[in-house]
Amino acid sequence: MVTKTANGGVPVRALQARARLFDPNDKRYIGILFITPVQLLLITMLIFPFGLEFFVALTEWQPTYGTSIWHAVGTVFSGDTELGLNYYYLVTDEPRFLEALGRTLAISVLSLCLEFVIGLGLATIFLKTFWGKRIWFTALLTPMMIMPVVVGYTWFMLFQYSGPVNQVLGWIGGTSAGADLQWLNNGVLAFFAVVITEVWHWTPLFFLILLSGLNAVPENPVRAATVLGASNWRIFWTVIMPNMRGVIIIAFVIRGMEVIKLFDEIYILTRGGPGTATETMSLYLYKLGFQDFRLAYAGSAGFIVLVITVVMINMMLKPIRYELLEKR
Amino acid sequence: MANIKLELVELRKEFGELIAVDDMSLACEEGETMALLGPSGCGKSTTLNMIVGLEAPTSGDILIDGQSVLQVPPGQRNVGLVFQDYAVFTHMNVRRNLEYGLRVRGMARADIDREVAKVATFLHLEHQLDYKPLELGASELQRVAIGRTLVTNPEILLLDEPLSNLEAEMRNQMRRELRRIQAETGQTIIYVTHDQIEALSLAHRIAVMDFGQLKQYDTAHNVYHYPDNTFVGSFLGNPPMNFVHGQFGHDGNRPVVAQNGSIIPVPAASAGAVSDGADVIVGMRPESMMLAEADDPEAFTASVIAVEPQGPETVLTARIGQSDLKLVVETGTQAHEGAEIAIRPDAELLALFDAASGVRFKA
Repeated sequence: MVTKTANGGVPVRALQARARLFDPNDKRYIGILFITPVQLLLITMLIFPFGLEFFVALTEWQPTYGTSIWHAVGTVFSGDTELGLNYYYLVTDEPRFLEALGRTLAISVLSLCLEFVIGLGLATIFLKTFWGKRIWFTALLTPMMIMPVVVGYTWFMLFQYSGPVNQVLGWIGGTSAGADLQWLNNGVLAFFAVVITEVWHWTPLFFLILLSGLNAVPENPVRAATVLGASNWRIFWTVIMPNMRGVIIIAFVIRGMEVIKLFDEIYILTRGGPGTATETMSLYLYKLGFQDFRLAYAGSAGFIVLVITVVMINMMLKPIRYELLEKR
Repeated sequence: MANIKLELVELRKEFGELIAVDDMSLACEEGETMALLGPSGCGKSTTLNMIVGLEAPTSGDILIDGQSVLQVPPGQRNVGLVFQDYAVFTHMNVRRNLEYGLRVRGMARADIDREVAKVATFLHLEHQLDYKPLELGASELQRVAIGRTLVTNPEILLLDEPLSNLEAEMRNQMRRELRRIQAETGQTIIYVTHDQIEALSLAHRIAVMDFGQLKQYDTAHNVYHYPDNTFVGSFLGNPPMNFVHGQFGHDGNRPVVAQNGSIIPVPAASAGAVSDGADVIVGMRPESMMLAEADDPEAFTASVIAVEPQGPETVLTARIGQSDLKLVVETGTQAHEGAEIAIRPDAELLALFDAASGVRFKA
C-alpha cells in the first residue's frame, strides 16, 4: 500500500465525485445492449411458450374444453386435477404414438446409413480428378439447396403410378409398360418412397461434410501406412476412418436432429398414409395438435420425443466429447 | 567395395516445367549412413519419395540389392520411411503403432509381441507402450516413428529431416540415439537433412544437392575438405568457405591468384593445368588458415576489419583486395582491428575453382 502520495495518502476514490449509477460511456454496457433484444425475443417466443407447454402438458386440457389455458396451468398448482396422465396414456395405451416413434427411428436410421454410405462413396470418388468434376460437384450439391416442399412435390410426381419411376423401372425390367408399383398407396413401398426422397435430398450434406473430412485427414500417416505395406482397404479402415471419426459423428448428429423432425416431404408425399404407414412423429404431433386440438396431449408426446432426442444425441456425441470440450 | 545396397541410375523427376531431380546417379553401400544434404526445395525429399515408391520417377532407375524396384509397389520394397512430422497414428497407442507393419504382414500374434517388445526395449519405449501419441513428447514420438519402421526390418531406413522438429537439447540426444541405432543394427540409413552439422556428424557419405542436381557425393570428410564446387564449399561449414575471385598467374616461379594488386600464392599442386590469366576463385576454409610471419613466402597479407571472440576460438574478418575472409583462430592470437596480418592457407586444403562454372580444378 502506497501511503506517501502527493495528497498525503488519502484514497483516490474519496477525491473523486461519487460514481454515477449509470454511466452510458461504460463499455460494459455495450455487450448487454447488443444482446438484450435477441434475449427478449427468445424469452417471449421460445422460453415462455416452452415453460407454458411444460405445465399444460401435465394436464389434459384442450381448447375445445372451453376453459382458458391459464385455468389449465392453474390446475397444475391448485391440485384440482391428476397430473401426468397424458404421459401414462401415451406410453401404455397409445400404439399409434409408439408406432410413430418406432417409424421415425426406422426412417432415421435407414436414411442416415444410406446417406452416409452413398455420401462417403461419392466423397471418395471426388478425391481423384476426373472429367467434369466441378460440374458434378455443383450438381451433386443441388438437392440440399432445394426447399423440402419442392422436393416433396417433385418426388410426389415421380412416384405416381404412371410416373417416371415406374416407367424407368419398367424399361429396366424389359417392358415398355412401366412397373406395377403403387409407390404412394402401398404401405411398405410408401415407407421406402419416403426414405428414397429423404436420402436423395440430404445425401449431398453428408457428401460435403465427408469430403471436407477426407481432405482434412493428414497425408503423412496415410503415406506411412502405404510404405509399411498396408493395402488401400486397410488404410481406409485403420487410418482414414479413425481420423474422420469426429467429422462423421458431427454429420450424424446434424442430420439426426433434422431427420427426427422430418415433416414437409412426408406431408406432401403421403400425408402419413396410407393409413399410418408413413406417419412419423412430427406428422403425428401435427395431427394431434392441429387436427384434433389435443394440445396438452401433443405437448406431452413432444416432451417424450425431446427427451429421447437429447439422450440419443448426447450418446452419439459421447466419443468426441473429450476432444470437443477438454482438449485445449 | 562392400555390397551395394541402393543404386540410383540417372534418376530424374519432372513436375511439369520444374526439374526436381536432375539425372542423379549414386550408390550406397550396405550398412552405411548416407546423407542427402541440400537447401530446402533442392529435391531431397522427392528423391526420398522415389526411393520409397510414393513418387514415380520420370526416367532413370532405382536398384535395391541390384534389382530394379520401379515396378514394386511402395509397401513391398521393404524400405522404411520416417517422416519429418513422424506421422504417428494418433488414434492408436504406441503398441498398436509399433505393431502396424507386422499386422499388415499377417505375422502371428506371439511373433508380433516378441518383435514389438524387442524394438520397444531397444528404443526405450517399453514404459510408453500403452500411451497414446498425444501424451508423448517429441523425442518419444520420434522413437515411435523409427520403431514402427524398424520393427519391419527394412532393407533401407530412410529418415526425412528427423531432427528438425526437436529442440536443440533433444536434437543432440537424438543424434546420439541415431548413431547408436545405426551402430547396433547395422542398418543402411539414408538421411535427408538441410543441416550440414547433422550430415557431417551422422553420415559416412554425403550427397550434396542443389536445384535437383547432385553437386558432390563423397565421404563426409572429403565433402567437407575437398569440395568439388563452390556450392558445396559454401553450403558446408560455419562460417562457410571463403571465396576470393582473381586472375590466375605466376609471380616469378610461384603460381598466384591476383586481385586488385593483392596476390594469394597458391600451391602448385592445386593449380594443375590452369592457364595464366584465367578467372578463378580461391576457396579457403576459415579454420584451414593460420597467421604467419610477414616474410613467409606462402602467406599473403590482409587487413583485419573485425574480431569476434567466441570462447576458445575467435573469428577474424580480414579484407584482401575487395573480398572479405573469415578465419577461425585461437582466442588470444595477436590481431586487432586495423592491423595488417600475414595469412598462410593450408596448401593441402586450398581449392581453386573455375570462376564461371564454380567447378574445382582437378590436379
